[in-house]
Amino acid sequence: MKEPERGREEFISEVQELIEGLSRDLFSLDTQEKSTNVDPNLINEIFRKVHTLKGLAGFFGANRLGELSHDLEEILDDLRLGKRPLDREMVDLLFKALDVCGQLLHLEQHPELEAPPQLDAFFQELAHFARAEQEQVHPAMLSDYELDAGLLAVLTEYEEHRLRSNIQQGMSLFRVRTTFKLQTIDDELEQLKVMARPLGEIITYLPTGGGDSDTIELEVLMASGAKAEQLQATLGGPAIRIEELARRNPTNPALSDHQEIPRDSIAPQRELNHAMDLSEPKATPGSAMQATSLKSTSQTVRVDIRKLDNLMNIVGELAIVRASLARITERVRGQAAHRELAMELHRLHRAFDRHLGQMQDGILEVRMVPIGQIFDRLGRVARQSSRETGKQVNLVITGAETEVDKLIVEELSDPLMHMVRNAIDHGIEPTEERIRVGKPEQGTIAINAFQKGSHVFLELEDDGRGMDPKRLIDTAVSRGFLGAQEAKELGIEEAFGLIFLPGFSTKVSADMMAGRGVGMDVVKTNISRLGGVIDVQSEIGVGTKMTITLPITLAILSALIVHVGGQPFAIPLSSVQEALVFDPTATRTVDNREVMTLRGATLPIARLARLFGLAGQERGFVVVVAVGTRRLGLVVDYLEGQQDIVIKPLGPSLRQVRGFAGAAQLGDQRVGLVLDSPALVEEILTGEVSKTPLGLRRSMA
Amino acid sequence: MKGSKLSARRAQSADRGNVAEFLALRLGSELYGVPLSHVREILVSPPLTVVPRAPHDVLGIINVRGQLITVIDLKARLGLLGDRPLQRPRVLLVPGPEGELLGLSVDEVLQVYRLAESEIEPAGVLGGNVAEHVAGIGRRDGVLLILLSLSTLLGGGPS
Repeated sequence: MKEPERGREEFISEVQELIEGLSRDLFSLDTQEKSTNVDPNLINEIFRKVHTLKGLAGFFGANRLGELSHDLEEILDDLRLGKRPLDREMVDLLFKALDVCGQLLHLEQHPELEAPPQLDAFFQELAHFARAEQEQVHPAMLSDYELDAGLLAVLTEYEEHRLRSNIQQGMSLFRVRTTFKLQTIDDELEQLKVMARPLGEIITYLPTGGGDSDTIELEVLMASGAKAEQLQATLGGPAIRIEELARRNPTNPALSDHQEIPRDSIAPQRELNHAMDLSEPKATPGSAMQATSLKSTSQTVRVDIRKLDNLMNIVGELAIVRASLARITERVRGQAAHRELAMELHRLHRAFDRHLGQMQDGILEVRMVPIGQIFDRLGRVARQSSRETGKQVNLVITGAETEVDKLIVEELSDPLMHMVRNAIDHGIEPTEERIRVGKPEQGTIAINAFQKGSHVFLELEDDGRGMDPKRLIDTAVSRGFLGAQEAKELGIEEAFGLIFLPGFSTKVSADMMAGRGVGMDVVKTNISRLGGVIDVQSEIGVGTKMTITLPITLAILSALIVHVGGQPFAIPLSSVQEALVFDPTATRTVDNREVMTLRGATLPIARLARLFGLAGQERGFVVVVAVGTRRLGLVVDYLEGQQDIVIKPLGPSLRQVRGFAGAAQLGDQRVGLVLDSPALVEEILTGEVSKTPLGLRRSMA
Repeated sequence: MKGSKLSARRAQSADRGNVAEFLALRLGSELYGVPLSHVREILVSPPLTVVPRAPHDVLGIINVRGQLITVIDLKARLGLLGDRPLQRPRVLLVPGPEGELLGLSVDEVLQVYRLAESEIEPAGVLGGNVAEHVAGIGRRDGVLLILLSLSTLLGGGPS
């Protein structure tokens, strides 16, 4: 009873602090707006605070406060991206909103009070304002500068806005090349930013690919009103090369007023129009000019990943055509009268097969991005966490160039951030403790990515205090996750597995307060959704190592097609070890589980027909699947063969159905379910453990 | 008889602005109406893949132009007995919660009715104990349609 009470008090005081901070920020903003010299960092800061406020409100169910901060966040996001002008009206609105925040907080503290009627009026005003048509503010011209298309393509919306806004203010653009040590890049970069601030603004930075194994060369794009020599003098020595970006077309800036960054297919299309002289009569007078200038910059196009998915779907359909072609070829071959035709068909089929393979590889290659994209964010998280906890942490990253499917990279971001935060919060000891046990003051978190076969491995290792399996088991028992008897039978590896139970965390961390309440269970769910597994090793006093194993791509999958109860199912080949004839007389029951003996070792088996409530046959085949070190035999009616499939997720309405990773089209209009091998192994082999948290979740709801 | 038809038609023309369109369909022996604006497509029963362990009112999944669609047995969802054999079974594609497109299996699709406000009675006329998903009763020429609110029916998702 006391715990939520205290949490609530902390909530109130934290919101109060935020409101006070915001009020200071707004006063600064007010002054800056009057002098028309607004610091973009200030708006970012306000945005961040409102975002935190939203998270807090959501976490504590303060709905109206949540609603208010949500609307505010949207308005501020537009403001920060330059989609709305900062004017008197805006500043007044922000002040008013902050005032209402205060009133809402007061109401949270005194639920017995009634909300004043003008609150509703303000909410309406705000909602109206938030949804009002936004005028497009000053599109500045980027094509005037010798900007690298590759760089333009990776600018975030915010960075692009800052770039345009600086050009608008007449700033010059500079390309700064400098080399950083990998170990200290975060600090050095921060330092550079601080030094650059009085002179201008750093828009973005990108690795150039230069540097050796310990260093990395970055290209920094900076906007400044100063001269190159001035920048050189301020930013430092000969290690830094500064070069002003030339303007292409200084005499007639108006021509490319509506120039956009080349994106998607727009650019080539415009080129085409120009080349064929088909440009629409409506086009601006400068369109011919634009087309030529585009030609020189657009070596890169940005493509929506859904378009690639679509291409992949077509490849999937073509694979089905290929299978039909193979069938026909076989049929024709059997007829003596059509020998020649059969040969020709066979050649065609081979060529088709080869080209289709190349196309598939080509599309997959486009989807691959270096995993280092998210490591950048991890650095920031590590810095923030180490500041919050007062622990000294060094993040060492290797293998950032390892390539993974774009979708996997996106989905990995949150789990990895959580794991880094976790390692700092729970793994790395406070400095005094480290000194006492003779470890270096600064803790180390090492992240290593590498590819092996068709899998990518991600290791996250800390040199912290490690996990004590005994303590984990005790905690699990005291919280009702485990019975005393079960606890005795638990092995060390299984004890580490406890941290992935929903709601299992050794303390309510500060992260929860900040509204990012994800636990290790979410990490595990996310990773298994990507077809990956996570393993934990830990040694008391030495540290913890978590290893994530992921498939390189999600788009296409080799699968073994099996039949159960007259229905086809696909088992991802990556998890299949072997398949053999099933002998029902050779099974035994051990501890209520059916097992068989495979080359002298015990193999637990699951009859899929029984598991899925289908009418299966007694005789059939056993498909041995392996996940990590654990193996399971799946009994099926018969094996159809191997096929490349394009896997699609089941809809949200089937989210709670366990055991399937999705479904795929298997040809002839048939849709087959794809088995989720890790989930099935988990379910069959550790059935008891996974039941408990479900019960707990129900009682918490 | 004639008089009532006439008055109904007059009523219809009087508030033409408030005409709502419903797709009439048959489930077992009863007729239902769903708002036409919700129906994206009517499919002639495509091959269905049964999903083991799915909620009892899920028939399975189908592939519609590369997209996987979950098909819900509308009779089971409404708690009707489903033993009367399907005659001309169809699947309606309708928007469900979380932006998911759902399939609803029905025994037969009949026609579109344009009902004026005066032709729709509130669900309350059935008495106090009407299921929430019944939005009202539509009457036209002696035909009685149970009008379904799809958002209520599909809102929470199967549990």
